Amino acid sequence: MNAMPPATLTLRFLQREFRERFTGSLSGSAWALLQPLIQLGVYSFVFVHVFKARIPGADAPGYVPFLVTALWPWNAFSEAILRSTSVIQNNAALIGKVALPREILVLASVCTSFAVHIAGFVAILLVLRVGTGDIAIRGLPIALLLYVPLFALALGISLACAAVQVFVRDLAQLLGQLLPLMMFGAPVFYDRALLPPAVQPWLSLNPFTFYADAFRVALLHHGSVEWQSVAVAVVVAALVLAAGIVVFRRLDAHFEDFL
Amino acid sequence: MSELLVEARGLGKAYPKVHRSSDRLRALGRLLFSGGDADRISVLRDVDLDVRRGESLGLIGANGAGKSTLLKLITGVLTPSTGSVRVRGQVGALLELGAGFHPEYSGRDNIAMAAALHGLDGAELRRRLPEIIAFADIGHYIDEPVKHYSSGMVVRLGFAVIASLKPDLLVTDEVLAVGDESFQKKCVRWMQDYLDDGGTLILVSHSMYHIQKLCRHACWLRDGEVAMAGDVFDVTQAYLAWHERKSAPQEAQPAVDRHNVEFSVLGMSLDGRSGEQPLLLDFGAPLRVDCRIRSRDDRVPSVAIGVTRADGTPVYGVSTDMDGRTPQRVGTGEYACSLAFDALPLLPGSYTVRVHPLDPEGVRVFDTMERTLTVRGATREFGLVRLAHRWGAPLAGDAAHE
Repeated sequence: MNAMPPATLTLRFLQREFRERFTGSLSGSAWALLQPLIQLGVYSFVFVHVFKARIPGADAPGYVPFLVTALWPWNAFSEAILRSTSVIQNNAALIGKVALPREILVLASVCTSFAVHIAGFVAILLVLRVGTGDIAIRGLPIALLLYVPLFALALGISLACAAVQVFVRDLAQLLGQLLPLMMFGAPVFYDRALLPPAVQPWLSLNPFTFYADAFRVALLHHGSVEWQSVAVAVVVAALVLAAGIVVFRRLDAHFEDFL
Repeated sequence: MSELLVEARGLGKAYPKVHRSSDRLRALGRLLFSGGDADRISVLRDVDLDVRRGESLGLIGANGAGKSTLLKLITGVLTPSTGSVRVRGQVGALLELGAGFHPEYSGRDNIAMAAALHGLDGAELRRRLPEIIAFADIGHYIDEPVKHYSSGMVVRLGFAVIASLKPDLLVTDEVLAVGDESFQKKCVRWMQDYLDDGGTLILVSHSMYHIQKLCRHACWLRDGEVAMAGDVFDVTQAYLAWHERKSAPQEAQPAVDRHNVEFSVLGMSLDGRSGEQPLLLDFGAPLRVDCRIRSRDDRVPSVAIGVTRADGTPVYGVSTDMDGRTPQRVGTGEYACSLAFDALPLLPGSYTVRVHPLDPEGVRVFDTMERTLTVRGATREFGLVRLAHRWGAPLAGDAAHE
């Protein structure tokens, strides 16, 4: 195989992914920031003014900051997996004609989702900080650091899913159903404290629960996260990434036969 | 000896049989957990191939013979099922139409992606971009999405990228066929320059003209196996002969009861050799055809001897009665004759020599016996025979145009 500079190649695929998302829209990449702001407006209207959602507790944050701090990381996570699952299949023409390290396709796709949503996340946090003052902006570096294991987790799952999708085409459909289940199985839209005590520990089995909690601790000083669970989350992310790479490598050589 | 760029040993490729979607699930399970796989359709078997630096190899074969599969294995797009292939140096591959271009993006964007795929960084690309665009020569289409391109334009673009890379090994799969005349010429010229500069080429083409022009060696794949490999002229001629035989009308030869017909062929020989094996002859060599005819009633037969191309196209035929000759009586009811061509003008290829006994009047054909003849030689002349010719001084003035 050729000696490839994967950096240049990854960058090209990243560029391509970005353009694929934003070309055709009038405002181009401004849309990346506009979209989360519109979404924020919709959520605050529906949940605060229609549902009158509130987080219990005396010094609890407003519902919108509460939601935003967990929902945006979730969006990055779930969109990365959903989009990259079909990325090998969608690039069948390229894979059939050019020898390239196929992991790059998945990597570029996951990177794009995270980049778009992290940018939106930061923009929204700044808006909320100015508007409500609930956000502890000093927690932002920690929040960004939290994206590292979340990215590893998403990349691991994406690699495995993208490889399996080549063989079993139902996977993308299935994921569309499973991911919302995973979201509602984590305290994204609700506070863990609202659940019956018997159910609460089960939530920790959901890998995203840690991230929902941790982002709120960092940015809202709401709730608590033990160091122990930080360690577990990092180990889980590393293991999932390793498993994803193993599965991908194992199936990689046979993609052409099944695409 | 120069460096070995491609080294394939026992190379084989088999595709899994996938009929239902449950087959895919089973295949996935096998790959993930055990590694063995069962039902497979083999498209390439036991290919040994060496390509050295500076060599030019033409891959020929009928559709579905495994040429593209072999190229994909060499370029690393496919993983071999059996055996191994090792490739050294940078490979520039142009596999089929499209070359991995994305239809939604402009030619310029696709050049950038193709360059990155071939290992060029941004600065290098900027340096070579004008050269690539000039070579492709598709005008303002360079900024249009590739989906609006004609197939010729796609090939132009793909070839332009490869041409600017000057890879150690160039692998192209039947891409010249879609380009127009002037682009084909440009590509052939480029490839000749590239070979003169020490480049290495593996070319798949159905145009024997291109193969013979560009390649010194050829490899003929038939049903996934190497049928023949060696000098380009030997291999292409054998390949063309095979095609001609294949397309020859399969005449049902009436089972001749040789003892009951009036005249039958007892035996024939080419240059004194009577075996069934084809006779190998160099271009322009002499040929002698001998035959013995049995005559039931001891009447003197006429004998016709003819040469056809392997596909049955007649080249030349002559009979004893046309030339006012009679076969010689060599025994009771047995006649023989001999025909000599001093310098056979048949062009390299495969031919059939036929002997027919006719009644003395030269009207009715009674029997047929044939032998295969292969003429060898390195010439690119067209047709069946070399016509006597010479190039002379051009006519003076306007005489040629009148």
